[in-house]
Amino acid sequence: MTEVTGAAEQSRATDAAVRTLVRSSELSTWQAMRRSWQAYALLAPIFILLIIFNYYPPILGLLRAFYRWRPGVEASFVGLQHFGVYFTSPETGRELLNMFKLLAFFFFSGAVVPFIMAVLIFRIRDTESKELYRLFLIIPMLVPLIVVILLWKQIYDPNLGVINGLLEQVGLGFLALNWLGDTATALYAIMFMGFPWVSGVGTLIYLGGLGQISESIFDACEVDGCTGLRRTLLIDLPLVLGQVRLMTILAVIAGVTSFQTILVLTDGGPGFATMVPGLTMFHKAFRTQQFGYAASIGMILFVITFTATLAVNRTIHPAVEDVRH
Amino acid sequence: MSTTTSTQVAPRTRRPLRLYQIGSHLFISVMLLLSLIPTYLLITWSFKNGLQYRWERWAISFPLRWRNYIAAWDVVGDYMINTIIVAIIGLMGMLLLSLIGGYVFARMDFPFRETLYYAIIALLMVPWVLSFIPAYMVYVRLGLLNTRLAMIIPELAGGPIFGIFLMRAFISGIPEELFESARCDGAGVLDLIGRITLPLSLPGLATLAVLNFIGVWNSFLWPLVMIQDDEKQMIAVGLYKLARSATSGGVPGWTSQDFSVWGPLYAGYVIASLPLVLLFIVLGKFYVEGLVDSGLKV
Repeated sequence: MTEVTGAAEQSRATDAAVRTLVRSSELSTWQAMRRSWQAYALLAPIFILLIIFNYYPPILGLLRAFYRWRPGVEASFVGLQHFGVYFTSPETGRELLNMFKLLAFFFFSGAVVPFIMAVLIFRIRDTESKELYRLFLIIPMLVPLIVVILLWKQIYDPNLGVINGLLEQVGLGFLALNWLGDTATALYAIMFMGFPWVSGVGTLIYLGGLGQISESIFDACEVDGCTGLRRTLLIDLPLVLGQVRLMTILAVIAGVTSFQTILVLTDGGPGFATMVPGLTMFHKAFRTQQFGYAASIGMILFVITFTATLAVNRTIHPAVEDVRH
Repeated sequence: MSTTTSTQVAPRTRRPLRLYQIGSHLFISVMLLLSLIPTYLLITWSFKNGLQYRWERWAISFPLRWRNYIAAWDVVGDYMINTIIVAIIGLMGMLLLSLIGGYVFARMDFPFRETLYYAIIALLMVPWVLSFIPAYMVYVRLGLLNTRLAMIIPELAGGPIFGIFLMRAFISGIPEELFESARCDGAGVLDLIGRITLPLSLPGLATLAVLNFIGVWNSFLWPLVMIQDDEKQMIAVGLYKLARSATSGGVPGWTSQDFSVWGPLYAGYVIASLPLVLLFIVLGKFYVEGLVDSGLKV
């Protein structure tokens, strides 16, 4: 796809494309760059915006993690102090544990469950119901995320929530709990949100991956009597490993960085029961104005996501491409 | 759902396979129904008054209270208009930059092309937690706190990162002969982009537009810290604040005319979902592609 295509952009000569190509390799880089001024001119606005708003902030963040920093005040260097404070503070262990629990759960709800759902839908023979199922997968995604979170908050509500309402109706009222307000259940209630976790991008991505597998492979499978669970584990799973890897990385990133749901549902409470490092970062910056400290937590989270992403990339190797069509 | 018709399609189906198909249909249907429960509750609750909300939680209550929607629009409407304005301005710029960038990287040959391309793509690897705090400080420094520009710029500057990735792949698929013959006719770079690339890359741009619109519509933490004035607020934060005032104290204009704030609140949630529904109805295929691509935008 990235064959050299338009070397003769500004020459406008009809048959000069090949000749220009040959000549341009003889020219010095500087001359070639001058000849391509149009390309650089077109890219200039993009790079100006990117440098100010997309390269500069993360670099600044990495630097300011070692500073005391707040708006309107000169930043002062404090060395590794923020990291020392963070790793010795009493809540940190709990936060990190919560984060890893969420991460592990997001792997299940984001990578495993959608895979099962996709395999089941993929094997449905009737194309009409297949399409209908796809549509029903998408409908819940037409509701904005914040609405979904606020709805679940209402569903968990101790007095007006439907979970406790249902429990009372079937005579199990003694099981009713303040799901989000109880230290013992709050984190699990956050995980349970979105049950049964099938609708979402994951199932669609897996369905796309399964659709790419060559038909001949499935035919060969059937001839060899490889069906059901055996086929899932020996054929489907290895051939969508690329998608598995993607969903695993997404789960890792969601587990480490996404605290929006927690902010809305519990704000880290009750106490510190559902606190995660990302939310601490947010609180430190916007409630106590410790922007340098917050930047250092951001840096820790970056290192964790980066290492985990690399580890996932090293562990999961997608199958060779020639079995796809 | 249609558990019986499905198996008749394949005549060679054996009995265990048919049982398996019926089982799958059942399982899938149950899972999908369960995942639709919150959406169902959302819609039914939006038509209830206070008493119906208290006592008829699961059923649809008649007559439907459309008044809830009028009360909700008074509050939610401004947030929605704000968000739509920001989204459209940002989208226009983002699409233009993505188209230009995609064209330059796909169709032009110049020194350091791949280096520059990977310099852009590498930004996809930077997680937002790393940039969130420093970006806030940069925007404050530039005097963008509490401005609509602060909502537009992330889309304008950040959108093309994935946009260029997508559009380069898309534009590379356009046959070279089209460009060649246009060059024969004396077309310059801008003609090649505007007259040939643009009309042929509309599907890619549509996917990108949908993906970014969903992104803006859902953006929450950024407007939460950047926007202070309620009249400039974006929809997600608007709903969050609305829910907070509904549970504590009430919303001005709602409590006087209604039994409860719940009906109008859920009506507001439904109204806030309508643009996404509309987008899906109009651009269904691109909507799904946009959703799937959002996964690639790690």
